[in-house]
Amino acid sequence: MLQSIISYGLAVGAVYALIGITYNVMFSASRVFSFTAGMLGMLGGVLGALFINKWGMNAVLGFVLVLGCGAVLGLVTEILTVRPVLKSIEQHLYVLSTLAFALMIQQVTAIEYGTEAYPFPVLIPIDANSMLGIVDQKFWLPVLACIVTIAGLEFLYRRTLIGRAFLAIAEDSYAARALGLPETRLRLASYALAGIIGTLAGFTGAQMLLAFIGNQAILNFYGFVPVALGGMGSNRGAVIGGLALGIFQQAANFLVGGIFAAVAVFAVFIVVLLLRPEGLAGSAAARRV
Amino acid sequence: MPTSAPNAMVEPLLKISGLSAGYGKIGVLNGIDLTVGAGEIVALLGPNGAGKSTLLKAISGLLPRTGTVIFGGRDMSKAGPREAVNAGLVHVVEGHRVFTQLSVHDNIMLAGYGMRGAELAARVEEALAFFPEIAEKRNDRAVTLSGGQQQMLAVAQGLVRKPRLLMLDEPSAGLSPVLVDRVLAAAAQLRDAGTAVLLVEQLIEKALKLADRVYALARGSIVLEARTNEDDLPNRLEHAYFGQDVSAPLAS
Amino acid sequence: MTDTAASAPARAGATSWLGKLEGKLSWILLGLAGLALPLLDDNYIGVIAQRAYIYWILSAGLNLVVGYAGQIAIGWVSMLTLGAYTTAALAAGRVGTEWHPYLALAAGGVMGAVFGVIVGLPALRLRTFYFAMTTLGFATIVTQVALAWKDVTGGGVGTPGPTFPWPFEPGWGFYYFCFILAALATWMTANIGSSRYGRALVAIRDTEVAAEASGIAKPKLLMMVFLLAGALGGVAGGLFASLQSYITPDAFTFEMSVLFFIAILIGGRGSILGPVLGTIILTALPEFAAPLVQWSTFLYAVLLLAIVLLVPGGIADMLDFKNRRPLTQHREIVPRTELLKRALDRTDGKHSIVLKDIALHFGGVRAIDGLDLEIRSGEVHGLIGPNGSGKTTTLNVISGYYKPKTGTMKLDGADMPFDQPHARASYRIARTFQTPRIVGAASVLENVMIGGTVHGQATFTEAMLSLPRNRRDEKLLRQAAMQALATVGLESLADVRADRLQHSELRFIEIARALMLRPAFLMLDEPAAGLSTEEIKRLGALIKAISREGAGVLLVEHHADLIFDICDRVTVLNLGKELAAGTPAEIRAHREVVSAYLGA
Repeated sequence: MLQSIISYGLAVGAVYALIGITYNVMFSASRVFSFTAGMLGMLGGVLGALFINKWGMNAVLGFVLVLGCGAVLGLVTEILTVRPVLKSIEQHLYVLSTLAFALMIQQVTAIEYGTEAYPFPVLIPIDANSMLGIVDQKFWLPVLACIVTIAGLEFLYRRTLIGRAFLAIAEDSYAARALGLPETRLRLASYALAGIIGTLAGFTGAQMLLAFIGNQAILNFYGFVPVALGGMGSNRGAVIGGLALGIFQQAANFLVGGIFAAVAVFAVFIVVLLLRPEGLAGSAAARRV
Repeated sequence: MPTSAPNAMVEPLLKISGLSAGYGKIGVLNGIDLTVGAGEIVALLGPNGAGKSTLLKAISGLLPRTGTVIFGGRDMSKAGPREAVNAGLVHVVEGHRVFTQLSVHDNIMLAGYGMRGAELAARVEEALAFFPEIAEKRNDRAVTLSGGQQQMLAVAQGLVRKPRLLMLDEPSAGLSPVLVDRVLAAAAQLRDAGTAVLLVEQLIEKALKLADRVYALARGSIVLEARTNEDDLPNRLEHAYFGQDVSAPLAS
Repeated sequence: MTDTAASAPARAGATSWLGKLEGKLSWILLGLAGLALPLLDDNYIGVIAQRAYIYWILSAGLNLVVGYAGQIAIGWVSMLTLGAYTTAALAAGRVGTEWHPYLALAAGGVMGAVFGVIVGLPALRLRTFYFAMTTLGFATIVTQVALAWKDVTGGGVGTPGPTFPWPFEPGWGFYYFCFILAALATWMTANIGSSRYGRALVAIRDTEVAAEASGIAKPKLLMMVFLLAGALGGVAGGLFASLQSYITPDAFTFEMSVLFFIAILIGGRGSILGPVLGTIILTALPEFAAPLVQWSTFLYAVLLLAIVLLVPGGIADMLDFKNRRPLTQHREIVPRTELLKRALDRTDGKHSIVLKDIALHFGGVRAIDGLDLEIRSGEVHGLIGPNGSGKTTTLNVISGYYKPKTGTMKLDGADMPFDQPHARASYRIARTFQTPRIVGAASVLENVMIGGTVHGQATFTEAMLSLPRNRRDEKLLRQAAMQALATVGLESLADVRADRLQHSELRFIEIARALMLRPAFLMLDEPAAGLSTEEIKRLGALIKAISREGAGVLLVEHHADLIFDICDRVTVLNLGKELAAGTPAEIRAHREVVSAYLGA
């Protein structure tokens, strides 16, 4: 039991962490939390199953194509729902514009693909008795994706000028604009990147979570919990928060049942937000007047 | 008093006319006319709330504005900050807003975003050479710098692109007198290298000592324009500040 | 109303009378249509109408939360779920004995109220997205629990809904039950909307800081609204369970939440009639356009995006012809200081606010560094100094937004708490803001009435039921607000939407709003910024007259001439400390002050 709590918990937690990072990447570039994060996760699974299972594509091609779709959706999100709102006076309208876009995509998916949960293909043919087969790939794939993403982001932010430009815009977009940084293009790039990370989460997690349209709402919420716990914009916080959430959820599932697990996660989420709105690791909020 | 001011104002480097700007419904600037010649240091003075910072923001395109901005013979009235920077019009905003989570070196690199690698590296070194004390800390994160060092870093950022016109917004704010002199000396060095400077400054005497010409701004209008070597300037400035003669702009 | 300004208000009065009739007329027509619908004897239409009523009962409450208070509660379908399962499970005897269906319905309402407050609590501390996510998360959790808690909910198989006995038995009896409850929900929420509570909600939505300064306590008010909205959602859920006759978790999709939400947004924020029409249209549309059914949620989403991006004001804004008539150009603000006598209480004696040794840091920056200041009745006290010298910060300390590290603040010798900005109104300390903080979507008169919120006597329940005390409150507030507007010279604009006014007019509206408190102290934060020379003169005369009527005025200002013209005493700040204090003449001659300004 312990083994399944840990393997399943870590795997689900890695998916949550990746969705949390998706939220963060978009937030850093625009101060906008976008409801499209869960949608990207859902699409990673659904599109993967569609390309590989239904259309019979090879797994690698399907994988690349899914991430490509994620990037395009990221760009569309920025252009259609974020950019117009950032210009308007009531910037919090982004909550509604991104939600509307996510729903539109979800509905198209529901009509074209169906509302059932479909199985996701096994991606890597591994002999179950070999070294790599000791732990099922559906458990280690999301964890691997999470590690690769974090390493990639570290490299981007620490080693490349464009990564530093992302950090600069996240910290002070006004000063960045004054320096002549191409804010709009950088924001677009961030949204494309978020699209790739979000679909990566869904694609690698889909052997476990299935290709299911209902994952959108679940990932939207459970992917945001690590952000709330770890502090907005903090990818490290999202990873720790995501893994902790995954393990807690699975442990509670096994030990006391699903009702309690769901209620407990929600209770913790509300309590943390009420006591420390800036997250367990974040710093205090700015002045108001 | 420095007297190296350009004499022939044939084609000023920056020429703005009828410039108005504000925040939402609040109009701050009404119809500003102003010029800066190549290689000239111009001080922009005025009481608090007069609109000095707003004017710089309107010139660099950080704020939407109406009116015309001609820079280097090009109409930049519609240009945003990015185009301004690329044309050589660089604005160092007030409050030493550097990126605290990045290293000193990376902060300066970012100011040259888009330039080619080798050239950028050389320019970063040149900018750092102006301020040895932050050059020493090139690999430290900017959050570890003092306010004065952050201000030097902000000015260094402004130097990377070898601007034709550098606009400095209160570079002395929060600096000790020694550091103020260092920052202002950098401005003088720039002028000698041919860069024009538009300087918003609270320390009037220092600004007057450095500048070739001066504009005073009050309530969103230019109320005085003069060369810094004219007689009776302090008195006229005081009048302009305390609003006794606002309605009649003093001649130049 | 005096005769000099009679023509403009009379015209305004005529339009509002017509407007009232227009408003009433639509309600009467809607009511008659609802009553007469059974005459069609078409069960299909009856069921659609019942569903519309049920959706509206929930949306009526949600409208206060979303449209008035501006809280983005996108997962409110959870209240429908909770109410439905509570009613169904109790009526079916899945928990203990079988409850009478009407009692079970009431229990559904109570359940909704309780969880409405629980889900609403985070709104007190969290901004938009976090709160939206909380309600969304709650909706997700409720569905998960409904699936998992098989003993009570029947899990995925579901549970039968309650059947209400006489007089509201299934069929047209149940139809009238839904109709009556929907009418009741409309009436109650409309009463709230037009009372000082409704204005306070809108103020919280659009300018929270100004709402606090007017004495509006956000937590208590929002909790009442969440309680009401939750209860209405729960009742709607109980009715929904009966209408469906069998409920499963699938019946409560997130898309329903979106429908409620869009109905409100289409209708327009801060309106009741608009959202009613929005709900009816959105409920009925897919039924009459069968090919659309599959795509209905998609179309709702497209609609939501279109509204947000193109017409954030909704239908109500598009139909607001009154506010599209051009205003007179070249309007002048002519304050009538002789009216101040009635607006202020001269008789209540001398007061003083004394600050001693106040120090305050932001991070490592000393914003105020050991400041003493005294503000006295009947005087204008000027506060000047360079940018960042701590002027506005001082003002914010007095109004309770910042808590200093050290120092004392006394009002008439008694300690005044450093926090609780909303409690300042009860000390009769009023203020204005550097950038006018006005509810753009409300009329000028309503904006000014917000300033008098603390003078109202009626409770939330009294306002909801439109009891006499509430009606008297409204009358008094309206009179006082007209008077305050006449005093600052803007009564002709009373019915105009505030966001149509010029910047200088907004500054005077803020002063009128502050006067509604009958302030003992008035703090003005750069009131002359953005005003013309002539307007500054009139402003100066008004400020001086206010102080002569006994109020103590603290004036933060950059315009040196205004300061020297009207102040009795001036304090000059530099780097958070007092640089000089004295009469304007002394300050004018003070060498250090001149150099602080000139930087020599």
